Amino acid sequence: MHIASVLIRRILNAAGLLAAVLILCFTLIHLAPGDPAEVIAGEMGGATEEMMAEIRALYGLDRPFHVQLLSYLGNVAQGDLGYSFYFNQPVTDLIVERLGATLLLVISALLLAIFLGTFLGVVAARNPNGLISHFVTVLALFGYAAPVFWTAIILLILFASVIPIFPASGGMYDITGPDDPISRALDIAHHMVLPVITLSTIYLAFYSRLARASMLDVLGSDYIRTARAKGLAEVVVVYKHALRNAVLPVVTFAGLQFAQLMSGAVLVEAVYSWPGLGTLAFESLLRRDTPTLLGILFFSSMVVIIANLLTDIAYRLIDPRIRSGAR
Amino acid sequence: MTSFIKFARATTAAALALGMAWQAQAAEPKKGGTLTLLTSQVPRHFNPAVQSGTATGRPGTQIFATLLRFDEGWEPQPYLAESWSWSDDNLSMTVKLRAGARFHDGHPITSKDVRFSIETVKANHPFKTMFGAVASVETPDDLTAVIKLSQTHPALELAMSSALLPIIPEHVYSKLEEGQTAKNHPMNATPVGSGPFKFVEYKQGEYIVLERNDDYFLPGLPYLDRIVYKIVRDSSQRVITMEQGEADFYTEVESINIRRLQKAENLVVSDHGGEAIGPITWLAFNTKRAPFDNPKVRQAIAYAVDRNFIIKALQRGVSKAATGPIAPSSPYYTPDVETYDLDLDKAKALLDEAGLKPDGDGIRFAASIDYLPALPEQQKNIAEYLKPQLKKIGIDVTVRNAPDFPTWAKRVSGHDFDMTMDLVFNWGDPVIGVHRTYICDNIVKGVIWSNTQQYCNPKVDETLTMAGKEPDLAKRKALYAEFQKTVAQDLPIYWLDIVPYTNVHSKKLVNPPLGIWADMHPLDKVGFAE
Amino acid sequence: MSDAAREFEQELRVESPAREAWRMFISNNSAIVGLAIFTLIILTTFVGPLVYTVDPFELVWAPLTPPGEEGWLLGTDYLGRDLVAGLLIGGQSTLAVGAAAAVITITIGITVGALAGYYRGWVDEALMRVTEFFQVLPPLLLAMVLVMLFEPSLTTIAFAIGIVSWTSAARLTRAEFMRIRELEYVKAARSISASNARIIWRVILPNAAPPLIVSAALSVGTAILFEAGLSFLGLSDANVMSWGKLIGDNRPAILAAWWPVTFPGVAIFLTVLAVSLIGDGLNDALNPKLRRR
Repeated sequence: MHIASVLIRRILNAAGLLAAVLILCFTLIHLAPGDPAEVIAGEMGGATEEMMAEIRALYGLDRPFHVQLLSYLGNVAQGDLGYSFYFNQPVTDLIVERLGATLLLVISALLLAIFLGTFLGVVAARNPNGLISHFVTVLALFGYAAPVFWTAIILLILFASVIPIFPASGGMYDITGPDDPISRALDIAHHMVLPVITLSTIYLAFYSRLARASMLDVLGSDYIRTARAKGLAEVVVVYKHALRNAVLPVVTFAGLQFAQLMSGAVLVEAVYSWPGLGTLAFESLLRRDTPTLLGILFFSSMVVIIANLLTDIAYRLIDPRIRSGAR
Repeated sequence: MTSFIKFARATTAAALALGMAWQAQAAEPKKGGTLTLLTSQVPRHFNPAVQSGTATGRPGTQIFATLLRFDEGWEPQPYLAESWSWSDDNLSMTVKLRAGARFHDGHPITSKDVRFSIETVKANHPFKTMFGAVASVETPDDLTAVIKLSQTHPALELAMSSALLPIIPEHVYSKLEEGQTAKNHPMNATPVGSGPFKFVEYKQGEYIVLERNDDYFLPGLPYLDRIVYKIVRDSSQRVITMEQGEADFYTEVESINIRRLQKAENLVVSDHGGEAIGPITWLAFNTKRAPFDNPKVRQAIAYAVDRNFIIKALQRGVSKAATGPIAPSSPYYTPDVETYDLDLDKAKALLDEAGLKPDGDGIRFAASIDYLPALPEQQKNIAEYLKPQLKKIGIDVTVRNAPDFPTWAKRVSGHDFDMTMDLVFNWGDPVIGVHRTYICDNIVKGVIWSNTQQYCNPKVDETLTMAGKEPDLAKRKALYAEFQKTVAQDLPIYWLDIVPYTNVHSKKLVNPPLGIWADMHPLDKVGFAE
Repeated sequence: MSDAAREFEQELRVESPAREAWRMFISNNSAIVGLAIFTLIILTTFVGPLVYTVDPFELVWAPLTPPGEEGWLLGTDYLGRDLVAGLLIGGQSTLAVGAAAAVITITIGITVGALAGYYRGWVDEALMRVTEFFQVLPPLLLAMVLVMLFEPSLTTIAFAIGIVSWTSAARLTRAEFMRIRELEYVKAARSISASNARIIWRVILPNAAPPLIVSAALSVGTAILFEAGLSFLGLSDANVMSWGKLIGDNRPAILAAWWPVTFPGVAIFLTVLAVSLIGDGLNDALNPKLRRR
């Protein structure tokens, strides 16, 4: 199949998916007990009946359900994700800022996990009974078995209080610090260390194991034997020929797991006060801020779809054998 | 209204002593510096005229000035008002504004802004009792406002302080586009006030930045250059942040962390401040649902609850007993009520009298308890304690977890509950924060923090109506004492304790905000030591 | 069904692979360690409370009594409840949620995957759209919405976890079915006109089972972690102890007391570790490619 037609099909498919996500989630949130008027009244320390009615009228919450749903979908189709009940701001503005923070966290964690994981996996595969191989096994088990928020809390107490080398208040940067671009960038890097390490532990474990297994597989295959027989240097054999094939399953999983990575981000962001989509999603769910929550689901679904698409492309680039649209 | 001022002076000895302690340590801070405050709350916007609560109130009181401010001894002091005086019949107050005071955008503040602000608060603020008695505001000249009342209203001065009556600019808010009201006005997010600090930036859920108002109407103030509110949701993280010196002040310290913070060399822990807020933790009953419609059952439960254990063990001795609807720090408090000290035998006897006999397993009836899903130490923990405790008198309690506020609010405001833990504020004067919970008129389904217990006693209604407008302090106190005795007998609510607003602040801080409104008060005199 | 077909099926389900797999499994040291830990945890949590009869909800001593003091082996929590009792009873519900969620995950996953992989065509197309739908939504957020909607209880939590995590089992089943349905013996079964249901459940599924068993084992671990995550965010059943609830509830006290958060954390860690060791062992034992080595 030609790449363009694959793309068009993918885009149509994605639009359908996004619509389904919005309709289902809109309905679910609508069914949940309580509405934004109650949240706003609660934060105000109470309200009169008239004020509640006024708030509902202001945000169109007094209309029948299907009218609300249709008008929402209509607006989304025109590129308008609506207005946050709670923050009195356009949802798109709210999200775009946070999306950057989450992507920074998630992509850094993913890259760290993939590179370090593959490296450890490959080293382990070259010597299956060596020290590093055992280390990879232990690391893999630990990363998988410890609850991520638990790791986060322990790392935070350890490295912000017991040995205070990272910022305790969390967040992405210290607003009271100098604001020239270089200091700010360094500050962000400093704030990122703990959350990125925490988030990557789960996947580091996973990728190192995956890389080790597929590397073992590839190293035992015929064409590697051929390469060796041709007298190529071992480093070239391992890192040029074998790695290329061993990395395929890693890349596939990276794409598929993006949604789960976003899930992990909710927990990690909660512990480190990282100002990302996870925190915003949690808060808007607690406040029944439907437009914001739907906006986040919309964006994160889109991110996942794009990640899957990129995975496909990456897969095609790495593995020249796959040229058709067959999965 | 001389009697009200007398009330303020006749305040508790503790509050006065606190005020003096404050005076003693007051020193001249140096100019400049950035004050970093921690908060767990994410404000919607910064206009307290249309939004109550501390999330908006804390930054709101820095951005907007009020007519009066209260000192640490509950005394009203001039702020935007240079002076104020009452008519002899106590039905009119004349306010003289400070000349030359300007909003942050340079517009002068006039009596018309005062009138506009009172009207806006009256129309939009949830506390209708604050300005409900205001019939009109006259503006004879630019610096004079005359507030005319339809009935005497002793709570007016308190309602003119802190976050309750911000003076908002009429020239900004009178411009309304289609579909706009003061509640959703875009300028609420980028406010223009006249307070000691100007709004600079707000990142949702991250931080709020305010900077010094160089054109502030009080000469030489404020000391600080900048105020930053950092939003940190996790309580342990706030503790570490304070210990590491990454922030200078935070209030609402959980009792569990107090001992640890007291050990930190760079910090001072204090339970002074916030006396006007009067947050009472209580157990509310649905008085329209059997068997809680029987006062004997409610009293039995009260006798079975060990308030002392809650204070000593669960709150680690930090909280103080609340014996009735009015906080002990209020001048209207009376300790002379039935307090229901622990007595399991009496509790069982009362349940027997109510006809609720134990079955084979010793269970008399099953009931559920809800709790406000915030501040677990004051809510969830006590609800969980009540489960085994009430089992001792044969009540099988199920704790209903509300994962979030709307779920809980929906149940309680919809009167769909047996018992619930709650936390409700006094807000300075009983008229503002107490009446709403007990008057028959305020049984409004669907409205949280109304009279959700559906308690209705015409005698209580009458007493409260009279107390609300009684200008004579002694008479007013007597009326409120009578009210407290009656409700303590009827017991629609069993009041448990008050957890003071424990503050922790950096030792470098001079004049930390420890007044009756804590940090919901202009921080113009706060600064750092040399 | 003809005798020939039955005989044919008999022939397919030979004894030896299962026995061989078991032999492989028990010769795998780490799998045995996993199995031992897991058995120990099951025994402690299900037999322990019969011996140790303290009520996990009763306030037995001063709040936050350190481990070992006053005779409380693991100390008390923020209310003064016994942590040993909490861990024992809490383990039961955590394991129950894990198992129930895994059953739901695998049931939905196998059904969807089997139908899609066997019938292909529009059935496949439709079911894969549904799968994709569940794959693009962040599972934790969706589970939170579901739990909130139906009030947090063990049942709703197990269902919510099951509903958001079946997609990878479905994809796995589908792939196996697509592979196996083209194999000779399936074609043979079809040629003797066995019904579709019979081919799916009796012919293909048993042969697709090995990776699915591994996936089921691992999903118990994932479900336990998921339950802990939801409890951490405040979504737990207030009337049932669980390890996740212990961590979530005691977290505000972590700076004053390390034990109420650490012990349930270690319990979760050990359980998930055991399950994943067992899963790995099963994987090696059931993977014919490795067996050949």
